[in-house]
Parts: sequence; structure tokens; C-alpha cells
Amino acid sequence: MLEVKNLMVFFENALAVNDLSLEVKKGEIVGVFGSNSAGKTTLMNTIAGLTQHMMHREQRKGGQRITISGEMLFEGEDILRAKPSRRVAKGIVLCRERHPVFKDCSVEENLRLGGYLRKESEIRERIRYAYDLFPPLERLKGKKAGMLSGGEQEMVAIGMALAARPKLLIMDEPLLGLSPAMQSEVVRAVREISRDGVTILLAEQYARPVMPVIDRGYVIENGTLIVSGTGKELLDNPEVRSAYFGV
Amino acid sequence: MELVNVLVFGLVNSAVLALTAMGFSLTFGLSGVANFAHGGLYLLAGYTSWILANRLNLPFAVSAVLAVILAALLGALIYRLVLMPVRGIVLSEVIATFAVGVAILELFRWMGFVTYEFNLRPFVKGSVEIAGVAVDYQRILIIGIGLVLAAGLWYFTRRTRIGLALRGMAQDEYTALSVGIESDWAAALSLALGAGLAAVAALSILPLGIISINIGYDVLLIALAVTVLGGLESTTGLVAGAFILGYAMTFTSTYLGPQWMEAVYMAAIVLVLAVKPSGLFGKSKELEERV
Repeated sequence: MLEVKNLMVFFENALAVNDLSLEVKKGEIVGVFGSNSAGKTTLMNTIAGLTQHMMHREQRKGGQRITISGEMLFEGEDILRAKPSRRVAKGIVLCRERHPVFKDCSVEENLRLGGYLRKESEIRERIRYAYDLFPPLERLKGKKAGMLSGGEQEMVAIGMALAARPKLLIMDEPLLGLSPAMQSEVVRAVREISRDGVTILLAEQYARPVMPVIDRGYVIENGTLIVSGTGKELLDNPEVRSAYFGV
Repeated sequence: MELVNVLVFGLVNSAVLALTAMGFSLTFGLSGVANFAHGGLYLLAGYTSWILANRLNLPFAVSAVLAVILAALLGALIYRLVLMPVRGIVLSEVIATFAVGVAILELFRWMGFVTYEFNLRPFVKGSVEIAGVAVDYQRILIIGIGLVLAAGLWYFTRRTRIGLALRGMAQDEYTALSVGIESDWAAALSLALGAGLAAVAALSILPLGIISINIGYDVLLIALAVTVLGGLESTTGLVAGAFILGYAMTFTSTYLGPQWMEAVYMAAIVLVLAVKPSGLFGKSKELEERV
């Protein structure tokens, strides 16, 4: 479904992603693991087209020079230069890190905004799906998203991404800053979303809670791919286990 | 009797100020752009309507609609051609839009629009007596137009898909991008809406007097004063700012003389920025950096 080949991302002379290749097959849950500043967020943002948007903005105003090269295919189509909106329309939807929500909008307005490119009937159906996945959201639907707890905001953020009807859902550190109970809730949701036919690419710093649900994983450091394999293969690697999985 | 006069005309003046600042405030709230071409667009609408009605003999309603459309298109063009390359550099945004505003105003001066023959006809002629004070229908209409526009904008930003998208973009650009909303499109639309509102304000307010180039400069200062006083991203603030300034200006004009009215809104800008930069109801201090 998604093929990234020899991707390189520079911010001025700093190399954020270094000759990285990865593949996500339809129906899989693929993890990308790495420590702080490993390049996970840059990779996720580049797949979603946000780095490209930033690059164009900086180019226009003569600011920071951002360079992106390599190849990025989604369902066989080259999307490396595509706008974020084009990618969302094709089904690539990013749920950004740190529970990004529209703080001054209600929960329901957030979910509606998630379905911005979809038809009204689809939006209604997707909002229903989000409420079924995270029942507490329905009770909170009239509340401003900025007034919710971190865990509730993460549910809204995931619900918003789901309202966009993704084929490939990219989740950037969805467990960051959540309580263990809330982490389990998000992992349960990931499993359920995958069961409903959505392919998932998930970045996490601390991999342990998501290991039971991933099919394959990539470990990156300083923007470079260190090792890849199935969940079991990664867990069997003693260096990877101690460095990233906390076991 | 003088006090009743102040109360009635204070109300009308407040509505005029709110309507004048509405477009500026909307654009800033939705895109973060302080459109200093606001006064230029305001006057452009007035002169365009006058030219279409008096030189091309188009019906007044048609000339008014065309003037609003032209101003809105020019607002979007200003974003596309002037603001896009400097987006995010606050000082450049201010300088670029101010330059466009001055260019529009001085173009009309160069074209000879400097005499006292230019005035727009009111939508409705005649007047009514309120508590013994004669108020022309046009002034009452301004209050009505202000209320209708405020309600319309509330509905647009809360109940329509596009309005919601604009609010989303105003709150978090990258999250908005990640659900498929285009930031340049949203900013261009907010500039167009603000310019369209400036045009509606011009066509409602200019019939109260003559059209002159200096009005364009005054309108920008009034919009800034109301927005700075009321605070950013706050409709309540806009209305409150307009009422405080409206009554302050009416009191000053009545008891000190009309020559002191300009001093009121200039003093309001300076005082608010010195004492409470976020304004009475504002959440951020960003406009402080733009004035």
C-alpha cells in the first residue's frame, strides 16, 4: 500500500531522515520506533505531506531550507510532492503527536472537521463510528475539546482522523503522556480500527505497550533505519529490547 | 435633551464603528493577518459603487453588489499576490497590506477623486423621531445591517462546513492540514470575507456623508482602535469595543467639540496597548506587535 524508498529529509544541513526505506502492506499494523529526535515525527509528517507544506512556506519567504528527496508511492501512485489535502482525499490521514485537537471547538465540531473532505452522510456515519469506538466521547460531544483531559483529547484526535475515512492511518506517538489505563484503551482501539480494515502506521518512542498489536516494526536512530522485522523478531533482538522496549 | 441626543447617536455611532471594524477583525481572527489595506478596500467599494451608478448608470443595487464582489475578489488577490510570499513574517504582512491600502487610496487621488461631488445615495431616505431626536432611516438601517451580519457570521462559522474549516485553520494550522483543509485557500477566503464586509460597511456608512480619500485612513485607524480595545478573536470584544469608543466619541464631540473625536480613538489605541495589550476581552497579544 505504501512504499517509501531512500527518503532523505534535510532541515538546512541537518539530516532528519537518512536514506530510509519502508513498506506498509494493506491491512498491516506497522510500528516505527526510536528515541527522541530519531526522526519519527519528521517521517510521519513527510508521509502526510506536512513537511512538504513547511518546505513550500519556507521557500516562499526565503527562510529555512528544507530538502526532501526519494520516492513515496501510495497504491502505486507517486505522492512525494502531493499536497496534504490530496493525500487525505486518497486516504492517508495523520493523527499528530500530543493529542492535537481544535481546542475552541466542541468535540462534535472536531469530529465534523475530521470529515471535512467527506460527504455529509459519510461524516454522520464516521462520527457514529467514533462514538462506538470511544463511548465517553458521545457524552462529551458538546464540550469544548480544550477543556478535556489528555486522554479524552487523544480519543477526539483519533476520532477526528477516523472521520476522514483513512485507508492508511498514521499515528504519531498516540500513547505519549497518557496514563497506563488510557494507553490500554488506545491500544484496544488500534486493534479494533485495524480489524475494521484500516492499515496503520504507528510511531512510538516506548514500544512495549504496542508490541502485542504490531505485525512488523522498524527501529530508527538519527533518521537512519537500524533494524526491522516482525514484532517477535524485534523482541528477540537483545539490543533492541533493552534500548526501545524497556525489557 | 442633549443627553438623549448623546444616547441615541452614541448607539448609532457604536453600530457604525462595529460595522467598520467587523471585516478587519474577522480576517485577523480567521487567518492571523492584520489587513492594513482595510481602509483602501473600504473606499474602493465606495468609489466603485459611485462610478458604476453615476458614470455607467447602473441601478444602485447592482452597483452595490458589484462593488462588494470586486472588493472581495481584490481581498483574495491581495492574499494570493502580495501576502503569500511573506506569510508568517508579521512585519512584512503589515507593510505589504499597508502599501496596498495606500496604493488604492492614492490611485483614486491621482484619478481626481478629490472634490466634494462624490456621495452615495442612502438605501432609504427620510428620518424618524426617537425620544425627540430625529434619526435618519439610513442610520437605523446600519444598526440592522450590523445585527444581521453578526448573526450571519455566527451561523457561518459555527454551522457551515467552510466556516468550521476556517475556525479550525485559525486554531491549529497543521492539524487542519492533516484533515485536508488547505491553509492558503482558507487565508485567501478570510481576506475575501473581510474585504467583502469592509465593502458592505462602506456602502452602508458612506451615504451619511461625502466620500473622500482621508476616510480610508480614518477607517483603518478606527478598525484598529475597536479591535485593540475589544481584544482579538472575540465578537463580544468587538461589540464592546465599538460601544465604548462610540459613546466616548459622541460624548467628546458633544461636550468638547468634533475636532477632538480623532483623539479619542488614537488615545484608545495607545492606552490599551500600554495598560492591557490583550484588550478587554482578548486572548492574545499578537496585534500589539502589529500596530
